[in-house]
Amino acid sequence: MDALYELITGSDLGFWWKQLLLAVLIGAVGVIVFSVALVYAALMTYLERRVSGRVQSRVGPNRVGPLGLLQWLADGAKMILKEDVIPAAADRPLFRLAPYPVVIGVFAAFASVPFGEWLIAADLNVGLLYLLAITSLVVVGILMAGWASNNKWSLFGGIRSAAQIVSYEVPTALAILVVVLMAGSLSTQDIIREQGGWPWDWYVFRQPFAFAAFFLYFTAALAEGNRTPFDLPEAESELVAGYNTEYSGMRFGGFYLGEFGNVYLMCAIATLVFFGGWQIPGVSPAEHHGSWLWQIVGFGLFFVKAWAASFVVVWLRWTLPRLRVDQLMSLCYRYLVPLSFVCLLGTAVLMMLVPAGSLFDSLLRFGTFGFGLLVAAIFFWRVLWHIRHVGDRIDLKILARGVRGRFDPAIQHRAYGAFRKQQKQPEESR
Amino acid sequence: MTTDKPERELVVEAGPEGGLVVGPIDRLLNLARKHSLWYMLFGTACCAIELMQTGGPRTDADRFGMVFRSTPRQADVMLLAGTITYKMASRVRLLYEQMAEYRYVIAMGSCASTGGLFQGSYAVVKGGDLIVPVDVYLPGCPPRPEALVEGLMLVQQKMEREPWLKKAHGKLPQPVDPWPEGAELHR
Amino acid sequence: MSQIETIQARLLELVPESSWSDGAAGDPFAALPADGWHAACLAVRDDPALGFDFLRSLSGVDRPADDRIEVVAHLFSYKHRHALVLKTHTGRDGGALPSIHDVWPAAEWYEREIFDLLGVRFEGHRDLRRLLMPEDWQGHPLRKDYREAEHYRGIPTRRPGYAAPDRDEP
Repeated sequence: MDALYELITGSDLGFWWKQLLLAVLIGAVGVIVFSVALVYAALMTYLERRVSGRVQSRVGPNRVGPLGLLQWLADGAKMILKEDVIPAAADRPLFRLAPYPVVIGVFAAFASVPFGEWLIAADLNVGLLYLLAITSLVVVGILMAGWASNNKWSLFGGIRSAAQIVSYEVPTALAILVVVLMAGSLSTQDIIREQGGWPWDWYVFRQPFAFAAFFLYFTAALAEGNRTPFDLPEAESELVAGYNTEYSGMRFGGFYLGEFGNVYLMCAIATLVFFGGWQIPGVSPAEHHGSWLWQIVGFGLFFVKAWAASFVVVWLRWTLPRLRVDQLMSLCYRYLVPLSFVCLLGTAVLMMLVPAGSLFDSLLRFGTFGFGLLVAAIFFWRVLWHIRHVGDRIDLKILARGVRGRFDPAIQHRAYGAFRKQQKQPEESR
Repeated sequence: MTTDKPERELVVEAGPEGGLVVGPIDRLLNLARKHSLWYMLFGTACCAIELMQTGGPRTDADRFGMVFRSTPRQADVMLLAGTITYKMASRVRLLYEQMAEYRYVIAMGSCASTGGLFQGSYAVVKGGDLIVPVDVYLPGCPPRPEALVEGLMLVQQKMEREPWLKKAHGKLPQPVDPWPEGAELHR
Repeated sequence: MSQIETIQARLLELVPESSWSDGAAGDPFAALPADGWHAACLAVRDDPALGFDFLRSLSGVDRPADDRIEVVAHLFSYKHRHALVLKTHTGRDGGALPSIHDVWPAAEWYEREIFDLLGVRFEGHRDLRRLLMPEDWQGHPLRKDYREAEHYRGIPTRRPGYAAPDRDEP
C-alpha cells in the first residue's frame, strides 16, 4: 500500500493522472477491505450458529458445503432474492437509508484493523480513535431504522440501542485509554509493536489495572455490540425483532452483517490492544519485519486470537440470560464507568512510580500473569468438576476417543462400544 | 416438453398448461434459497410445542439452515401451528401479508389443514387454506417433529422446481379484509 | 347445624328475597332476582360470617323452555373454607343484569364471555366487548337456537365434504 503510494506519487506523471491513480488505488483497497469484512462477518454468523448448536446439544448448519461452511453464502443469496418491503407508513427515505450507516460504520472500521504487520489498509496515527469513532456511526443507523419504521417495537429497539451504545462507549473508550497511556500511541500498529510475543509481554498482563481494564473493555464492548447478555434492542420476548422488525431482504442483511461484523471487530480490538496482535513469541520485530514467513505466521496468530475471542463472545451469548434495561444502565454508570476511571488513574500512578524495566515492573508483570493463569486454572477446574458431577452423561475419555475416532475407524468402533456398554449400566459409572 | 440435456442441469416440470424450465442459474439460486429457509416464530395452539421441539436437539432444523425469525418480514415460511380461530384468522392473514416474497405456508396438523376435530365448532376456521394459500399439508395431531422436518423438506423440493422470479403465487382463496371499513384496528 | 345450613340461615338474613334450593342434581344453590343481584353479591362478600372473597366461576346457561338465561356464580371463601352457588336469571331478548365486576374484579372477563356467547348485557360493566369471538360476529353461539352463518367475512364456515353434526338440526 505504502509502496504503491510512493510509486505513484514519485512517478513523473501529471498531477491529475496521479490523483486518478490514487483514487483507483483507494477504491481498490476499499473494495478489498469491504470483501474481507463481509467474509469475516459472514463467517461470524456461521460460527455463531455452529457454537449455539453445540451449546444446545445440536449440530448446527451442516448441509451447505463441507461442515456447513458455506451456509452464509446461502443466507446472503437468499436475502438478496427476498422482496424488499417498505411499509406504507414508513418514512421512506430514512427507511431506505438506515442500513447504510450501520454497514459503513462497521466495515469502514476494518480498514484500521491490523490483520498482520503488512496487512493493514490504513495505519492511521489515530487508529484507535478512528475505530471508536467510526463504529459510533452504527447508532445513527439504528436510530434511523427505529424511527423510520414507524413501528413501536422498532422504536423501542432503536431507542434502547442508542442509549446502550452511547452509554457503553464511555467505559470502552476509558478501558482502551489505559493501554493508550501505556503505549503512548493511538496507532494500532504501534500499540502492537510495544507489546511482545510472549503472554507476559501482552498489555493484559503488564499490570493489574490493565488486567481489570481488559474485562471492563470486554463487558462494555459486548454491550456496545448489542450482544447477549446485553441484547435488549433485539429481545425477541419483548420487542419482536427490535429495530430491524420492519426490514426484509438485503436491507435486513445489512443490519445482520453489521452486527456480526461488529462482534469480530470488538474481538479484533481486544486482540490488538490487549493480546499482542500479530506478535510472534520469540521473534523480534526486526526479524518479523523482513520475513514473509513470519508475516504469514503473524497473520495466523492474529486470526486465531481474534476468533478465539469471538468464540468466547458466542459462548457467552448462549450461556447467559438477558439483563433488564435499568440493570444495564446501572451496570454502566454505577460500576463500569467509575471502575474504568480507577483503572486509568491507577495506570497513570503506576507509570509514574514504576520505571519500565525495573524489578518491581517485572514483579507486577509476572504477578499479573500468574494471577491470570490462576483464574484460568480455577475456571477450568470448575468446568471439569461440573462435567465430572454430571455423571455418566459426559465422559471426557469417551469424548477424547470420539475425537480421535473421527480419524481412526478402529478407535471409533471401540469408543462407540464403550459408550453403549456404559449406557446399559449407568449406575456403575457414577 | 422434452429435452436432451440430463436432468441434473435442467429440471422439467410438466403440467397441464405446459412445462416449467428451471435453468442452471435458477438452480443455483434455488439451492441457496432452499438451504436458508427461515420460519416464522408463530404458533396458534399446541402444534407450536412440536414446532419448538423441531428446533431442538433431536430434529435439529438448523442443520438444514432453518432458523426462526421473530418478525414476518424476514421469514420465508409460515407454519400454521395449531387451531386457528376466527378471531385469529385476520391476524394470521395479516402476518401472511406482512411476509416478504417469496413465502410459503405449511399447514401443520389436522386443525390447520382442515379444522380437525373442531368441525362442529362455531369458533374454529375449518382449515388454514381458507385464509392463506397453503403449500404443504401435514397430517397429525400434532405432527411429530420428524414429520414437520419432512414438511419443510417438501417446501425445499417445491422451491427447487420453480424459477424464483416467476413463482406462481397461489390464487388467494377468499380475500379477507383484516381491517374492514369501520372496524377498529386490533392493535 | 351443618356448614351449609349456617350459610343458608345467614344468607336468608342478609338477602331475604333469595329462594333456596337443595339442588337435587348438584350443589345446593340460592336463586336471586335480577334487581337484587349486585347487592346480594356485595353482602355475601362483605359479611364476616360468610366472607366469600373468591369468585371461582361465573357462567351462563340458556334455558329456551323457560325463555330465560341463567347466570351462575360459584363462590368460595378462603377464610372459612366454604363455598356457595348463587343464581340469577334474565330474559332471553335484550336481557340485562347489573355487573358485579366491582365486587369481584375477576368477573370482568367472565361477564364479557357471557355477553359474547349468550348475549346478556351487563349494566355498569366498564368494557363490555366480545371476548372470544371476533368483534363483528353476528349472534351468540351458545344459545340453543343459534344457527351458524355460511360465511364469516368471506371465510366459509363449513369445509366441503366434511360432516358438521351440530349444524343440521337446530
